[in-house]
Amino acid sequence: MPRFERDAAHSGSGALTPNIGIGWRHPHYAALLEQQPALDFLEVHSENFFASGGAALAVLERGRAHYPISLHGVALSLGSAAGLDLWHLDQLAALVERIDPVRVSDHACFARGVHQGKLVHASDLLPIPFTNEALNVMCQHVDQVQERLKRPLMVENLSAYIAWKTPPDEAAWQEVEFLMALTRRTGCSLLVDVNNIYVNALNASPSPTTDAQTEDAEAACRAWLDAIDPQCVGEMHLAGHCRVSDAHGDIVIDDHGSQVCEAVWRLYGHAVQRFGPVPTLVEWDTDIPALDVLLGEANRAREALATLRTEAMA
Amino acid sequence: MSDLAAQQQDMLRALFDWPAEDAIELIAVRAVNTWARGLKAYQTNGHMLAQRALSAAYPVVAQLLGEESLADLARALWHAQPPQRGDLALWGDELPLYLAKSRQLQDEPYLADVARAEWALHCCATAADALAEPASLNLLTTEDPDQLALLLAPGCTVVRSAWPVASILGAHVHGTPSLADVGAELRAGVAQDVVVWRQGLHPQFRQVLPGEAGLLEFLMADVSVGQALDQSSDLDFVQWFPQAVASQLVLGAVIQQPGST
Repeated sequence: MPRFERDAAHSGSGALTPNIGIGWRHPHYAALLEQQPALDFLEVHSENFFASGGAALAVLERGRAHYPISLHGVALSLGSAAGLDLWHLDQLAALVERIDPVRVSDHACFARGVHQGKLVHASDLLPIPFTNEALNVMCQHVDQVQERLKRPLMVENLSAYIAWKTPPDEAAWQEVEFLMALTRRTGCSLLVDVNNIYVNALNASPSPTTDAQTEDAEAACRAWLDAIDPQCVGEMHLAGHCRVSDAHGDIVIDDHGSQVCEAVWRLYGHAVQRFGPVPTLVEWDTDIPALDVLLGEANRAREALATLRTEAMA
Repeated sequence: MSDLAAQQQDMLRALFDWPAEDAIELIAVRAVNTWARGLKAYQTNGHMLAQRALSAAYPVVAQLLGEESLADLARALWHAQPPQRGDLALWGDELPLYLAKSRQLQDEPYLADVARAEWALHCCATAADALAEPASLNLLTTEDPDQLALLLAPGCTVVRSAWPVASILGAHVHGTPSLADVGAELRAGVAQDVVVWRQGLHPQFRQVLPGEAGLLEFLMADVSVGQALDQSSDLDFVQWFPQAVASQLVLGAVIQQPGST
């Protein structure tokens, strides 16, 4: 299988020009088309546009007339031992053909598998173990997708709420090592979700929902980011999370339902220092606010990149 | 089976078995010590997605049931019929059958037919686009009707029902007729067949005219206009046709290719 070559313009070696987008969701369809704010791209969830026709697809095509589109999938199930759903891949390929997106991405996770003798899809981003077997499955499927789409894929690191033990007969991989091996073997890029790294770091601590853990979590995230080859990074994601404490325990959930927290902004600053001005997306998927609020978050990301540019030119 | 496949099957069992106690023990063996809270998060997310998906596809059924009952129903269907595709908009097609078989909902026997009509509307919304070709309708004056087919709107479907489904949908979607009138129709045993279609990008529905359901079913089966009309003597074609064209239920006409029905 040929190894796809990453596009330098989409990696950290690109020009020092801020490239900021927002997740374009249903409540903002009309407002964004009307206002046409200064954005460098829009991101949509691929699966929301798999239909043959209708209003949603028409809106996407109108958006495409004004902005580059980044197609971000949530359901390819690249890490599934049961294989890819070829129907799903066909729908994605048709959408890619129709929209000609600037980037295509999905997650390092699984959702598809056999349950009671049937293939089912969990409609979630379920964690995979960082094992040789899982890496082989991921590589095979990333190759398959890239061959079908005739373009490189970006793979996003996950916010995972279960961490798998390493089987006794397997070498233990760290997540970063696993992802870097994936990029080396397939030529795919990494979509680095800064909030996901932070959420995982908080959940790995003894009391995830207390402020006492934030310094340690940030240190762990910086180490995670420092272990990534900047040339492999094709996009970054920023989003909000929530802290849940209930009868079942404490957990931090990557719900994309609030502003990006200050710790994640600090980590983003660290990331842009290291990776350069890679395209950056601000996501907001639940309790979606007025468009202006989301644009404010996008402007803050733009300012972070502009600062980097100023420093580089000085 | 590989270790990875077994692990993933265990995870899916933990999410879709109900109750899932046995499957949860399998996860405990494979995961590090924070697994229980994490698994709960995934289970909760699945149930929320299920409710959201049904609310989107079946807004009138959702209103009729109320939020709490819909949540229970969504959870039950999620475990009985897990999604098979990664496009969640495709999940929920089994709801009408599930409602029809539900012992708890036997007092509301019309719900299944309302759900069938709503699923038709849901599918209609994303059917492949088609443009009206009004000039082609001149073929009806120049060609043999037995050689002509009518082009129907995207998503065109007929839902036959022994209940006043059009009135129930209308009362909840458009506010007419009144709920009191719908109640009277239910008590009187009024039956209404419904036609669903898309006008431009907008899904539409209405009660069929006399003879219209049969005509549309023939036309959808690629029967010629002439033969379909011969089988639909109850339909007042002169009244129906201009309305059907104006509302884009009929988009145009085409000469049938040899071999068509």
